[in-house]
Amino acid sequence: MKRLSRGLRTLADCAPIANAKAPDRRMRTAVSRAKRTEDFAAQQSFDRAVAKLVQATPVSTEIQEWFANERMAEGAKRSWKKTALHPAILAIGIALVVIAVVAWITFDEQMHAFPGTATAKKLLNVAAMTRPSEFEPMETEAGTLNDLFFMKYRLEHYDVPPEFSQQRTIGVRVFDDDEAGQVAQISLAEKRMQLFLFPARRDSRSGKPEEFEGWRYIEQEGWTGAVQARKGVLFMAAVRGPKKDLAPYLTTKPQLR
Amino acid sequence: MTGEASKAQDIFQDTLREAAFLVANREPPADRYWFFREARWRCLDVVAQGVQPEHATNESTELSPKAPEQIEQLEPEQLAIWISAAPEPQRSALALYYLDEFNYREMMSMLGLKLTDLSRAIASGRREFQAWLNTTVPAAASE
Repeated sequence: MKRLSRGLRTLADCAPIANAKAPDRRMRTAVSRAKRTEDFAAQQSFDRAVAKLVQATPVSTEIQEWFANERMAEGAKRSWKKTALHPAILAIGIALVVIAVVAWITFDEQMHAFPGTATAKKLLNVAAMTRPSEFEPMETEAGTLNDLFFMKYRLEHYDVPPEFSQQRTIGVRVFDDDEAGQVAQISLAEKRMQLFLFPARRDSRSGKPEEFEGWRYIEQEGWTGAVQARKGVLFMAAVRGPKKDLAPYLTTKPQLR
Repeated sequence: MTGEASKAQDIFQDTLREAAFLVANREPPADRYWFFREARWRCLDVVAQGVQPEHATNESTELSPKAPEQIEQLEPEQLAIWISAAPEPQRSALALYYLDEFNYREMMSMLGLKLTDLSRAIASGRREFQAWLNTTVPAAASE
């Protein structure tokens, strides 16, 4: 084995007696190179003969009895229940469930989002924070306010949909919002409901208002809004409570979120 | 390794008892090599307390092509006696190696040896055994 490098010779000295047992590539390489030498052939013959003699060593009955239950110390196989309840597996499982739920919620929100969702949610917060004294008193039917918005504020198509046009108002105000633009906010006598009219978001390429069909619900901190787009203006009816409080007012069924 | 079946039996049972104790404490042995490591240390401990063999410097010679024929003429007990007289860790290395059940990584793990030490122990063991063979079975050794 003089032609072998020191490292390979070191490995070849421990070469498995049965070639099939080489545990790794380094050993296989060492054995492969060593086979080209005469010394290694002599080593293997020697080792096989000694191993054969070892195998032929008689084992007394007494010692055989020690190993009658050779597998008695083998670890018990874990059941799937025990594996599942292992803290690490449990933690990974919970983490995966949380990730799946968050992913589903995000996906669901994306599926039901409409142009102007963010603005509508912001206006729900405005509805929650607006005091009655901030409104200009106005007792009339909501459907008649479009003239006021156009004549006084030059707001075109700020029309209250027929579903809410018969409702009695108690106050009105118009304000500028950084994101929403000019917003008309109407306070109703019934259920302390509030109506909002604000410009629809415009497409950055075409400049056209982004619209959608029918009613869409949104929810924010205990408030529910039903939103509709028409002629470049978004209308939102907001009420403090669940969706069912708004549903009776809507003649066309909104897409449920 | 101990030279006495009763001592070996005690060590075997102590090792199993230790394994059962670890299992009861929810710290079961990590692998089957644990048993060999544990039993070997117990054997060495017992042997260290008994009468020590006189270690002479063994002759060594290159392996002979006739070695297989020489070995065939031996009784298994002769080989066992020769190996049991070898110094540690050579004795354990040769015993594990010729059992032909473990690869070199497993032997390194069980014996706590580096590859170079394991290799040296086995290689020198072969040459020393060949020298002993040449003395014990000289007729077959003649070429």
